[in-house]
Amino acid sequence: MINRITISISILTIFLLLGLPGHSWAIQPHGEPEGMYVHQMAHVLFLGALAYLYLHTRSTPDLVSRGWRYLRLFCLLSIAWNIVAFTGHIVADLHGQRAPGAPLDIVEILYILTRMDHFVFVPALFALMFSLRTFYLEAGEEKAQ
Amino acid sequence: MIASTLSFAIFVDLAGSAMVILLSFLSLRFSYFLAKRQPDNFLWGFLFYFSIAMSAFAISRGVGHIARQLLVLNNHVDSWETLSPYSGGINTLLLISVSAVTIYYHKGLAAYKIIRNEAEKLAAANLKLADTASQLQKMNTYLEEMVEERTRDLSTSEKKFRHFFENSKDMVYFCNMGGEISDINTSGLHMLGYETPPKNFNLLSFFKNHETLERYLTALKENGFVSDFELELETRDGTTRHMLLTANSILDRQGNMIGCEGIAKDMTRLRNMTEQLINQEKMASVGQMAAGVAHEINTPLGVILGYAQLMMDDFDEKDEVYENLKVIERQTKACRKIVADLLKFSRQSESAKTAVNPNDVIEDVLAVTEHNLNINHIHVQRRYTPSLPMVIGDAEKLRQVFINLFNNSAHAMENGGEIIITTSHDQAADKVIVTIRDTGTGIPDEIKPKIFDPFFTTKEVGKGTGLGLAVTYGIIRDHGGTVTVESPMQDSATGEKIQGTAFHITLPIAGKEQNAINE
Repeated sequence: MINRITISISILTIFLLLGLPGHSWAIQPHGEPEGMYVHQMAHVLFLGALAYLYLHTRSTPDLVSRGWRYLRLFCLLSIAWNIVAFTGHIVADLHGQRAPGAPLDIVEILYILTRMDHFVFVPALFALMFSLRTFYLEAGEEKAQ
Repeated sequence: MIASTLSFAIFVDLAGSAMVILLSFLSLRFSYFLAKRQPDNFLWGFLFYFSIAMSAFAISRGVGHIARQLLVLNNHVDSWETLSPYSGGINTLLLISVSAVTIYYHKGLAAYKIIRNEAEKLAAANLKLADTASQLQKMNTYLEEMVEERTRDLSTSEKKFRHFFENSKDMVYFCNMGGEISDINTSGLHMLGYETPPKNFNLLSFFKNHETLERYLTALKENGFVSDFELELETRDGTTRHMLLTANSILDRQGNMIGCEGIAKDMTRLRNMTEQLINQEKMASVGQMAAGVAHEINTPLGVILGYAQLMMDDFDEKDEVYENLKVIERQTKACRKIVADLLKFSRQSESAKTAVNPNDVIEDVLAVTEHNLNINHIHVQRRYTPSLPMVIGDAEKLRQVFINLFNNSAHAMENGGEIIITTSHDQAADKVIVTIRDTGTGIPDEIKPKIFDPFFTTKEVGKGTGLGLAVTYGIIRDHGGTVTVESPMQDSATGEKIQGTAFHITLPIAGKEQNAINE
């Protein structure tokens, strides 16, 4: 079965390559904004993954101990950090287009605030550390019993 | 203001980056120990990989931030611009990695749940199994204890019954349907004349009477038991033992008889004693009657004899009447002799007792009778004990005793034989024992109890009055002794049977008897 699919895909690819020459024939170029887009997409992906982890651990009846509550706090703070970082990257772009010595505006304020993302990310990692520490201690107690 | 804000932002960036690196590594450390502590827990494994990805991201991001601040502050903006894309790229990659690890968590957790459920089921099953095993172990231990206790009780019971079985003075036996003895106690073996059980040891073969055997077997089959069953067993040496038997059938599960078990008591001694007592009572009764009859007959006989003798004086000896009177006189004297014997038997005749030596009394008798015995090819063996104590007795009556016994022996040995006379002193009983043994035909068992009865005789009519042994019995009893008969004789050394009859007479020695008379 797999061999048939593999053979079919191979034949189709050869036909496409032979039948559709032109622009696709060359390596696709990557322009300057692409890296930023990928990075922003990664933030969105990470945010989505954390949101999923938060929701799943919250809806799972077994995962109710203190350690899981710390982990869910980590998820929320990390989600917030992703939002801040995502916003920060956009604001940084806008901030770069501003003229030097321009008066204080919303872009400038947001730029400064988003540069302080550690105020969110460090507590998030504190929550992660406490979560794992709690799990570790609970596992120790369980073992002792 | 701007400068101070910028400085604070730089400080926050540097300190925050460092804190992020530090905290991510602390997280990694805890997740590592956590995964190590419970290596089978998928969630800890997931958090460990998550922590690795976060630590890598924290390093990449933190180092990038710190490098940027340091390079920019030191006017190396160009260098940072060169380095920046790499740092950003790595950050992006690691962000995606952390996301991927997080998304992977879902499937892993589902699989882990299934495995955990199975493991929990398995653990529950193991727990149940362990519980069952524990219960089984307890039951087994209890069972072992119970078995030990029962075994102990059984052993005690077995010892008790074995002790009873082995030490019982009665015969206790177990046999199969055919009478083959499977187990018998030592007393039973001895009763039957054995030291060890022989091959083909069959109880039924010892039954002396066939009719008794039939009754025994029938009772066992029909009733399942016999109780106080009297029987005679003929032992290995031919001795007859009177037994009182109680036996039960042994049944299988279907109720079929497969053997029997029984206890038999040897009643021989009791029976002999009872017979002797009965005999003594009988002899006493007969003696009283004989004495009465003798007294009543003696006077008329005296008158008949007196008148007959008076009338004989009136007739000539050649006269026929004289001859008739002579017959009357002779027969009357014979009757008086019988009456005199009856009085001797019943101890009514006068007796003059003195100290006599039994050896001398026997020699006196032999002086008269031995010649006649020799003519009949009967030889006398004397086995006297030289220093035999004296006995108190009427020598005349004792001579009568020995004459009677020699006559009896001669009658039993019409074709010749031997008379062996043995005298001995039983010091323990203070008695003299005289045994007169012959090698004659012996006395059948069925007439043994009657031989001392007055007028009992095996001789033809006219050849004996049947008073000889009765008189002997009466005289010996009058002397405080006993007379017993043994036929056939048993050799004390070899245990073999010897044909013939032996009369054992015991007489109290003089001192003892004299003392008794004095008292």
